[in-house]
Amino acid sequence: MRQVTRRELLGMGLTGGAAAVLAGCTTPGTTSVNAQPVVPAAASGEKVTLTYWAWLKDLQKVADIWNAKHPDVQVEVSWIQGGNDGGYQKLYSALAAGGGPDLAQVEMRTIPEFMLVNGLVDLRRYGIDEHEARFDPTLWSQVSYAGGVYGVPQDSGPTGLYHRPDLYEQAGVPVPTTWTQWAEVAPAIRDVGAYIDAFPLDDTSVFAGHAMQAGATWLRATEDGWVIDMAGEATLDVARFFDAAIDDDLVTTSTNPFTPGWYAAAAHDKIASLVGASWGDALLQSVSGSEGKWRVAPAPRWDHGYGSSFIGGSTAAVLANSAHPREAMEFAVWMTTSREGIDAMIEHSGIGWSPARDYIGASREGPSEYFGGQRYNTEVFQPASKDQNPDWQWWPITQQTFNILGDGFRRKATGGTLVDAVVAAEQQTIDVFRQKGLTIRKAEGR
Amino acid sequence: MTQTPQTTPTSTEGTGRATSGRVPTRRAVVNRAPWILVSPFLILFLLTFVLPIVVAIGQSFTTVTRAGLFGEEGVTSRFAWFENYRLVLADGNFVDSIWRMLLFGIVQVPVMIVAATLLALLLESASARWPGVFRATYFMPYGIPGVIATILWSFLYVPGLSPIIDVSEALFGYTPDFLGAGTVLWSIANIVTWTYTGYNMLIIVAQLKAIPSELYEAARVDGAGPWRTAVSIQLPLIRPALVLTTVFSIIGTLQLFAEPQLLQTVSPAIDSQYTPNLSAYTTAFAYNDYNLAAAQSVLIALVAFVLSFAFLKLTNRSSR
Repeated sequence: MRQVTRRELLGMGLTGGAAAVLAGCTTPGTTSVNAQPVVPAAASGEKVTLTYWAWLKDLQKVADIWNAKHPDVQVEVSWIQGGNDGGYQKLYSALAAGGGPDLAQVEMRTIPEFMLVNGLVDLRRYGIDEHEARFDPTLWSQVSYAGGVYGVPQDSGPTGLYHRPDLYEQAGVPVPTTWTQWAEVAPAIRDVGAYIDAFPLDDTSVFAGHAMQAGATWLRATEDGWVIDMAGEATLDVARFFDAAIDDDLVTTSTNPFTPGWYAAAAHDKIASLVGASWGDALLQSVSGSEGKWRVAPAPRWDHGYGSSFIGGSTAAVLANSAHPREAMEFAVWMTTSREGIDAMIEHSGIGWSPARDYIGASREGPSEYFGGQRYNTEVFQPASKDQNPDWQWWPITQQTFNILGDGFRRKATGGTLVDAVVAAEQQTIDVFRQKGLTIRKAEGR
Repeated sequence: MTQTPQTTPTSTEGTGRATSGRVPTRRAVVNRAPWILVSPFLILFLLTFVLPIVVAIGQSFTTVTRAGLFGEEGVTSRFAWFENYRLVLADGNFVDSIWRMLLFGIVQVPVMIVAATLLALLLESASARWPGVFRATYFMPYGIPGVIATILWSFLYVPGLSPIIDVSEALFGYTPDFLGAGTVLWSIANIVTWTYTGYNMLIIVAQLKAIPSELYEAARVDGAGPWRTAVSIQLPLIRPALVLTTVFSIIGTLQLFAEPQLLQTVSPAIDSQYTPNLSAYTTAFAYNDYNLAAAQSVLIALVAFVLSFAFLKLTNRSSR
């Protein structure tokens, strides 16, 4: 038999490598991990190391508490960029390459996007149901799709009305409890040189929050496909309301909450209030010289719908290529629902609102020095977290819909309306769904 | 093949090629040597340059469809002909972004090239003081990464933080809006001009230095002043450098990305498809639609190619 020369070997290696590269070019994410057999739990005594990619800071300190108690299941945390700033890109490429961590921080609204690339493990197959009672039911429904559960809720943010009592007093108007009242007092706030709020034209998650609060459900997953009701009456009412507010110069659109311009305006007493999520409390403290000036009230109500909405929120999701999904899920449940886990996540990582049903975190129960001694968490946000739209769900192209809507909202500056943008965004969302082959139809009665 | 196979694999020849079992003829070795020598380059070039382009073009002709709510009922990829290109060209925002970049280029590129040429001529004129210091100073912005430059400039643009706006309000009672829908494009142009003028100036300076001193002497003997020297000697001779910097700038304009991406956080006027590259980035990494993004990228490359080619054609013709 003829021997193979080194050069030929090299040649074969290169050809093989090139073939492998080309084979790897088929569009990834086309097989489902949830159709494969369940991965059994690790045998007792077996050492398991879990990896968790998240953008929360100092999360390793939280994992260390677990690690000290569970010598067989060690968790290593790696920091990634937040969500669409680079973290998801990294996760998607790791998944496409057949790797990735056991756990990853994935926002509620991004869960369906990861499902679209078959990136997540259905935790019901690993017994998440027994823990359901420990989680907030609204957030639970935001991770439940098509009969499965695809992430462990990690944090969220019920909305409230942050406001400056001194500016309201100067304007001689009460802090509004309804949106109608909000629109009535806003001109008086303008008269003292401030805005009642900033309306972000490009970050539509805030607008989605308002629509959610008004009782809208933009998309629903049903057995025979998606049902869209984005341009329904509830949402159009909200759009008309803010169209008028912007036209009457009641809100500023030139700067978004928690951006440099907004901080500067807030420091100069030009922002009197802000409807924002509970995690805004930490951001608000970056406003220079604001200590003791702000208070929190319940969000204004629409004449239908709910008392509050959830803005933001993330999960710890078990990724498709995890070798130990059961252990990963158990760690995630411990981290998000045990008292020590929640307290450590608040202390080290500064998480938003805890998704646990009956514990908000020890440090959040007392009065807050920054808010002038107000017990704002138990007074405002705890009731707000119970008064939520339970039907809201996210969809596989949430980010794209938000961008389309944001691009439409920007035309407000050049004569467009929010109403037109909502109607157009609904149609474009339908188009993108169909282009991907997904079934979608408009809600009945429209 | 011209190789002669040897029958005895365990040759005792002290050539160190004992395991190879073949002795190629001298001619074959000579033929093969260049390929072996360039192979490290060729392999890297193929794997990191040609292959990605081929894959991108392939992806741009592919479409993926999913069945069910999340594709749990099956995912299929198929050859889509020009469907992705049709969708991209039907997307008004993407086409707008290309027109926007053309407008940007028509204004910004000439401004920058004229400024770079003026600076280079001034620095190379006989009466220039400390040309080295000024050359380094003008070049310095190029040493600052685009991301950092944009953050620096954004602090000069944002109302409430910007000293420029404060001064303008105090002196003239006028509040400039650097980040509005109509102005932010020129705020970006300002950052780009600030960054790249010095770099282009340096290329032109290098060409100016290559002009033989006899030409200057001859010009002086003929009685040409500094103005006449610049117009009749220097400008015609730095023409190649001007063409080069202009082509680079045209390509650079179409690839504008970091500046708008960062200014997005302070300017609501910049949308997710403000520039062609930002559009492709959003499609690929925010929407996970690699096939459409590939089609967008191929189109951007085509437009850059056509523009650069047209410019070169134009300058070649006028030089004849």
